Amino acid sequence: MSAKVKTMERKGASLAEKIYFIEIFRGMATTFGHFWRNLLDNSKLYVRHYPEVEPEIPVRWRGRHRLTAHEDGTVKCVACFMCQTNCPAGCISIEAGERQDDRAEKMPVKFKIDLLECIYCGYCVEACPLDAIRMDTGIYSVTDYNRESFVLGIDDLLRTPGAFSEEEYKKGGA
Amino acid sequence: MSLLDILLVIIRVLFAAFVPLCFIAVCVWMERRGAGFFQDRAGPNRANIFGFRAAGLVQNLADGAKLFFKEDVISDHIEHKFYFVLAPLIIFFTAIVSFAVVPFADTLVLNGKSYIMQGIPLDLGILWFFALAGFSVYGIILAGWSSTNKYGVLGSLRSTAQVISYEIPMGLAVVSLLVVYGTINLNEMAQFQGQLLFGFIPMWGIVLQPIGFVIFLIAAFAETNRTPFDLAEGESEIVAGFHVEYSAMKFAIFFMGEYVALFVSSAIIITLYFGGYQIPFLATDTLISYAKPVAFLLMVALPVIMYFFAGWIRKNNVSHYPRKNDPRVYEANIYIKCFWGLVIVLEIILFAILLFKSGGAAAHIFVVLLQVCTFLLKVTMMIFVYIWVRWTLPRFRYDQLQKLGWQVLLPLALLNIFITSAFVVALS
Repeated sequence: MSAKVKTMERKGASLAEKIYFIEIFRGMATTFGHFWRNLLDNSKLYVRHYPEVEPEIPVRWRGRHRLTAHEDGTVKCVACFMCQTNCPAGCISIEAGERQDDRAEKMPVKFKIDLLECIYCGYCVEACPLDAIRMDTGIYSVTDYNRESFVLGIDDLLRTPGAFSEEEYKKGGA
Repeated sequence: MSLLDILLVIIRVLFAAFVPLCFIAVCVWMERRGAGFFQDRAGPNRANIFGFRAAGLVQNLADGAKLFFKEDVISDHIEHKFYFVLAPLIIFFTAIVSFAVVPFADTLVLNGKSYIMQGIPLDLGILWFFALAGFSVYGIILAGWSSTNKYGVLGSLRSTAQVISYEIPMGLAVVSLLVVYGTINLNEMAQFQGQLLFGFIPMWGIVLQPIGFVIFLIAAFAETNRTPFDLAEGESEIVAGFHVEYSAMKFAIFFMGEYVALFVSSAIIITLYFGGYQIPFLATDTLISYAKPVAFLLMVALPVIMYFFAGWIRKNNVSHYPRKNDPRVYEANIYIKCFWGLVIVLEIILFAILLFKSGGAAAHIFVVLLQVCTFLLKVTMMIFVYIWVRWTLPRFRYDQLQKLGWQVLLPLALLNIFITSAFVVALS
């Protein structure tokens, strides 16, 4: 079976193109069209007025992390260290402790994520056997003034709610 | 010298020195907002003083303040610190001084005495411009060499080779122009272009010398080191070229010099090929004798233009997203009031001209002001063309650039000289 060959049309060989000027003027007409349209009515600009108008975040977007909880508010995480082991950036550090309720044996006493180290690959979410860590907060802009505030503790991670409903999240393929 | 003589000398020197400087801000602003609009984005429109953004002009102030207060670094590896500091000054100085011979209005006649309207009363004209444009290459060479930096040296070599090879077609294009005009004085050239060809076409250089204009325009783009010939900066290959080692105010002076050069080369193109300060169909003498009807027409036209301009401001100076008590609407109203105030002042001035004796000193001064405005308007339009080209065309490769210069423009310019000379000899 011979490979399918598609011959591409080569541009730039004809005389009209070799003179340059005709093509240059055509290009300049195109750009001027854009300029003139935007000058007359700048509501036609394609760009988003970013800080005021926020982008729509799809469900599968890997935003900032959060820890999920059971209905009674206790943390789902059982401190199995799967996410910490799997993390290519090494940004997760868990300290396990004994669990008082009867759900499991262990629970995290400390659960730190260094967002300055994190590469937002989502491997922690993939690795988690209990769906305890998710990246569905929809937070895409993580900014602050000092390095310390980028290290999230267990309380911060538990506090943030998910941006999407459970149904939508499941549909997203997680 | 009477007091009037001294006053006019001061005025013309100040004009020649400060208008290019003021146009730096205008050029940078046009470049940024223009680039934004060409690419369907907004450009800088956030920096403000008490909520007034002046369509993005405030951004220039912010940038200027930033560059002014930044640390001025001269690295230890630079051996020739004197030349290192000298280089940006050469570029800036030559750019500003080369504007000195460009006439921005026709010779002003007051009380039987004529006052020339250009920075320095020199007859050198276009030669002065060539001399200084050639001299500004030394700034680039010195900057690249004294930086002791490979990128710097490469950038300055590219720029030097480019400017030198494009000076030849540029000079030859001007030679055929000199054959047509018969003078090197820019003011006389502009006066020549006030005539009419066949009685109805303005006798502008572009009509008489279309090929020469194209050659000169391309060469001027190359001389100012702007796209499509900005290989000297080639940020993808040689970082920033000759000014890679410069920071803070020394960089700012390079930057400003570049924009002054842009202004001056626009002014030269306007003077050589677009009639300079001449208003089409209205030569200086005609204007002086018809000063009153022209003033009256302007009095009628100004409010009409302002009405539409106000509508444009009101439409575009709003937030294009839901916002309570949009401050931009308030801002737009203030701008519109300012512009209406300006229009009222202009109307009063024009009305005063209607009151004065026709053909008198007032008419002469009015014509000069009108011509200055025409000149600046034309220059602004030419600068827009530069910006337009910059955001349309990609950069040439180095060999393509040299090929275009030596194998296309040079023969074309020579051919143009022959054709022009033949025409001039045949017609005279």
